Amino acid sequence: MNQADLAIVGAGPTGLSAALVAARAGLKVWVFDDNALPGGQYFRQLPKQFRKTRKTVYDKEHGRASELFTAIHHPNVTYLPNATVWENPDPGILAFAAGERSGRIEAKAILIACGASDRPVPFPGWTLPGVVTAGGLQNLVKGARVVPGERAVVAGNGPLLLVVAANLIRAGATVAAVAEAAPATARLWRNLPRLLQAPEIVKLAVNYRGLMAKAGVPYRCGETVIEARGTDELEEVVLAPIDTRGRLDRTKARTVACDTLVAGFGLNPSIEMYRLLGCDMSYNSYRGGWMPKRSDDLETSIPGIFAAGDGAGIGGVEFALIEGKLAGTVIARNLGALDERTAAIQAAPLRSRLERFRKFRVGLERVYAPPSTWTELATDDTIVCRCEDVSLGEIRAREAQGFTSAFAIKGSTRMSMGRCQGRNCLPTLAAHIAARDGIAVEQVAVPRGRPPARLVTIGDLLQEDLPAPVFPTDPHLPRGEEVI
Amino acid sequence: MSKTDFDRRIATGLDRGEAFTFTFDGMAVTAYPGESVAAALIAHGRRKFRETLKRDMPRGLYCGMGVCWECIMVIDGRAAVRACMTVAEPGMKVETQHGLGPSPNTAPTEGSAS
Amino acid sequence: MAMSDAPAEPPDRCEIAVVGGGIAGLSTALFLARAGRDVVLLDKGSPWGDSSGANAGTLSLQVKRTEMFEMGSTSIGLWAAFGTEMGIDVGFHQPGGLRVAESDEQIAFLREYGAEQEAVGFEFEWLEGNQLHDLAPWLGPEVRAATFCAADGYASPLIAGPSLIAGARKAGVRVISNAEVTGARTAKGGYRLSIGRRSLECEYLAIAAGGHSTKIAASLGVRLPLWVDCNMLTVTEPAPRIMDKVVTHIGGIMSLKQHVNGTVLIGGGWQGRGKFSRQTREIDPLAWVQNVGLGARIAPDLKTLRVNRAWAGYEAVTIDALPLLGRLPGLENAYVAAGARGGFHMGPGQGLVLSQLILEGETGLDISRFDPARFPQ
Ligand SMILES: Cc1cc2nc3c(=O)[nH]c(=O)nc-3n(C[C@H](O)[C@H](O)[C@H](O)COP(=O)(O)OP(=O)(O)OC[C@H]3O[C@@H](n4cnc5c(N)ncnc54)[C@H](O)[C@@H]3O)c2cc1C
Ligand SMILES: Cc1cc2nc3c(=O)[nH]c(=O)nc-3n(C[C@H](O)[C@H](O)[C@H](O)COP(=O)(O)OP(=O)(O)OC[C@H]3O[C@@H](n4cnc5c(N)ncnc54)[C@H](O)[C@@H]3O)c2cc1C
Ligand code: FES
Repeated sequence: MNQADLAIVGAGPTGLSAALVAARAGLKVWVFDDNALPGGQYFRQLPKQFRKTRKTVYDKEHGRASELFTAIHHPNVTYLPNATVWENPDPGILAFAAGERSGRIEAKAILIACGASDRPVPFPGWTLPGVVTAGGLQNLVKGARVVPGERAVVAGNGPLLLVVAANLIRAGATVAAVAEAAPATARLWRNLPRLLQAPEIVKLAVNYRGLMAKAGVPYRCGETVIEARGTDELEEVVLAPIDTRGRLDRTKARTVACDTLVAGFGLNPSIEMYRLLGCDMSYNSYRGGWMPKRSDDLETSIPGIFAAGDGAGIGGVEFALIEGKLAGTVIARNLGALDERTAAIQAAPLRSRLERFRKFRVGLERVYAPPSTWTELATDDTIVCRCEDVSLGEIRAREAQGFTSAFAIKGSTRMSMGRCQGRNCLPTLAAHIAARDGIAVEQVAVPRGRPPARLVTIGDLLQEDLPAPVFPTDPHLPRGEEVI
Repeated sequence: MSKTDFDRRIATGLDRGEAFTFTFDGMAVTAYPGESVAAALIAHGRRKFRETLKRDMPRGLYCGMGVCWECIMVIDGRAAVRACMTVAEPGMKVETQHGLGPSPNTAPTEGSAS
Repeated sequence: MAMSDAPAEPPDRCEIAVVGGGIAGLSTALFLARAGRDVVLLDKGSPWGDSSGANAGTLSLQVKRTEMFEMGSTSIGLWAAFGTEMGIDVGFHQPGGLRVAESDEQIAFLREYGAEQEAVGFEFEWLEGNQLHDLAPWLGPEVRAATFCAADGYASPLIAGPSLIAGARKAGVRVISNAEVTGARTAKGGYRLSIGRRSLECEYLAIAAGGHSTKIAASLGVRLPLWVDCNMLTVTEPAPRIMDKVVTHIGGIMSLKQHVNGTVLIGGGWQGRGKFSRQTREIDPLAWVQNVGLGARIAPDLKTLRVNRAWAGYEAVTIDALPLLGRLPGLENAYVAAGARGGFHMGPGQGLVLSQLILEGETGLDISRFDPARFPQ
């Protein structure tokens, strides 16, 4: 079996910055990522074949990106692209599918840096081609320099909407409306001291707003998308005002013609690895829902298993970079590659920077805190499980027959059994049950993640050299334990 | 409006190299080395990638990062390939996926879906 | 997969109490209610939440022991009848099944086994070489021979569960979730069941609680020896048709089928990691890859499919692989159905037997080999 000091799942800002620190300290590091190129979401790269002829606005992160990417060339780092980590078969061991290189690795420490994905919020018409997530839009622009349409509406909740709007404007698309569900602007002043803990980010936001103002793009707070319409593709969206308590005023709805809707409702940490590992979890709606409990050293409830970056609670790229470095430092210390003193000196500025960004994050969360029930936009016809094509009406019909728990709804409708493995529907189901029963979302018992963490091709699994199986002589006879 | 006569690629500051074509439901689509199938299709206004099994609903790119599986298409005869994660190749045959898509060669061809 | 869980409290009394909402208990309750009897079905969690909701749904006559032939055929008939006669869609399909062999030794064993089965009236076809591969071109080259049994098929646990629960309710069964029977004792005119702090009096008692039946029977002074396997099951992404028969294996353990929605189920009884006593059940990642690998050798198109999810569940069996089916030794009007190998397949037949015993005091099926009294008390 492959051996490493540290195995990192995810080559985003978190994973790469951890790898760099740990490798420089002398640890043997393996990095797995299921993309073809390193960088994760934030540092998503253009194809290698593209050549830049001059510097553009997209290259402002070039410096940080190139420093980060040195990690994959470091002699102590083994980097496996197109590699999906799918299971934790035994303590300290990860199984990965990577074509011919598929196999297992034993590591003294494991860092889960799996990032996040867009939070699904169903509303009528959200499945139409032309409706993309905020992350999806960012990836198209960053990874291919392509915009999905000519006339776009940006709607949802959170600061990523500003980034998206700016990118669309720069690309020459018309942005017909930006609808932010939270009354963000009104809350801005009260939270400014906290936000100014990270002046570099505030400056970015000011730039985006300036760009929007110059292009004449209105930014409306307290407005949400309630419907997307079109036959085969998106043709128009309906936006409606929403008050601070989440009440929609449909009488004041407006219809905006567009060919693209970028819907960004915030991110959810990718938690499947923690579920497989059995880490203790906690719930924080501001940071994207379920996430692992961690110590100050970013260690989960299982010794030797660390969690950092967006996958451990949404914080954005700055958090990701700092937490990655901190995790790398702490792990190097724990494994004896850094002495206590050096590690403490290395960690101190990271911890204080983290402190500063935590304050900033609280400010951000307060500005963008969405009204609690505002996401109940689906109607009976709305698809709530995209993979299995299950509508809210089908769920309600099963509820009327007595199938009321998440398990019973899953079992009787196939909801969450598709390829996305529940990522795009279990949060919806939990929210639906919570609202129905008048309980908190975190109190809703939902089906637990099952291996594999992400879909793996059977052919890949079989690349591993495994011992031939031993079959029972009489398969009819019991193989398990006697009931006592 | 014909959909193929425009290009939604951002041109500024970029040399994409030598263009090539692949087919989408029989029509030629221009792509550049390294580009994903999804990006090339979207650049030419092709956004409906598949129809679902149960309701024949149109779907296209959604998450753009490989986790939602909404962008699956039939590529070179193989069903359920994610367009957002697949690099376009010259001469590739890309098709809208209807339901589950076509069976592999050895599979039963008729009337056996009991 | 756990199913219905409409909140309801158990009543104080009823005529017939069925303990366990798996296939055995639900079938028993359904048949009794359809005969007009007053039935309460109790489940400790949600019905269909244990083995029946976690299993592969294979209904294969040819993999069963010859002693199970009558029960197996009766059950397949009932699986078909749920949909055609009772209006309960259980996702039943009967494409026929292949039991495959790869090595000389396996081929010899398959012949031997076939001869035994023929002796009890079992019908199948012997296939080898081109004939086999013409019928099933999707089989891998290493498959050299197979018996084909037209009666083999499958039901979909996911479809069957909700339908049977809804069907039982419609027939008048009171289905009660979260009602764990913690003990039972004889009472005037029948039995008194403890359900947490509550109790329920009934004239007839039918225990169909899977591996937990042992404990319930013990409170009545009856020994029901059961063992519990921890089987793994794998489901692929929905795919276009790659196979059109149910496949089992004479040497290796395997079951393989593709459902109408395109997903392929790979199982057969490979052991996961788990202890019934601790209620743990996880996949064993090594055995799991071997399980999937054997499947892909038999149907190589599987290699192109992706695994969606895998899990492990319990299967309660007896030491002689024959069910505990019939009257509890030494007691009147108390019955059990548990421990059949392939208990999903056998569930409806077992339900029929219990309902007949309760309704008529006897059954037309020969259940002498299944008598719970055959094990020392
Ligand atoms: C689609 C998307 C686009 C975004 N774009 C921006 C943006 O433009 N600007 C911005 O400020 N923020 C953006 N964000 C927010 C972004 O999440 C963070 O800023 C930052 O990328 C987080 O870094 P990370 O390293 O924690 O996670 P990520 O960057 O998400 O990296 C995690 C990596 O782990 C891989 N991975 C996950 N599970 C496995 C597994 N089991 N096996 C192998 N590999 C695995 C993922 O594919 C990914 O490459 C985006 C988020 C998303 C979801
Ligand atoms: C992965 C796997 C694959 C399988 N594949 C197949 C297959 O392909 N074909 C086949 O024929 N068989 C298969 N089996 C076996 C089959 O699932 C079982 O034999 C069958 O489901 C048993 O049904 P049952 O009704 O007896 O028990 P169960 O389905 O386990 O039902 C028992 C019920 O009793 C309830 N209960 C338990 N204790 C109490 C109590 N004290 N009070 C109240 N309620 C209680 C439980 O909650 C449960 O709902 C498989 C099993 C597994 C795990
Ligand atoms: S768009 Fe989500 S997987 Fe391709």
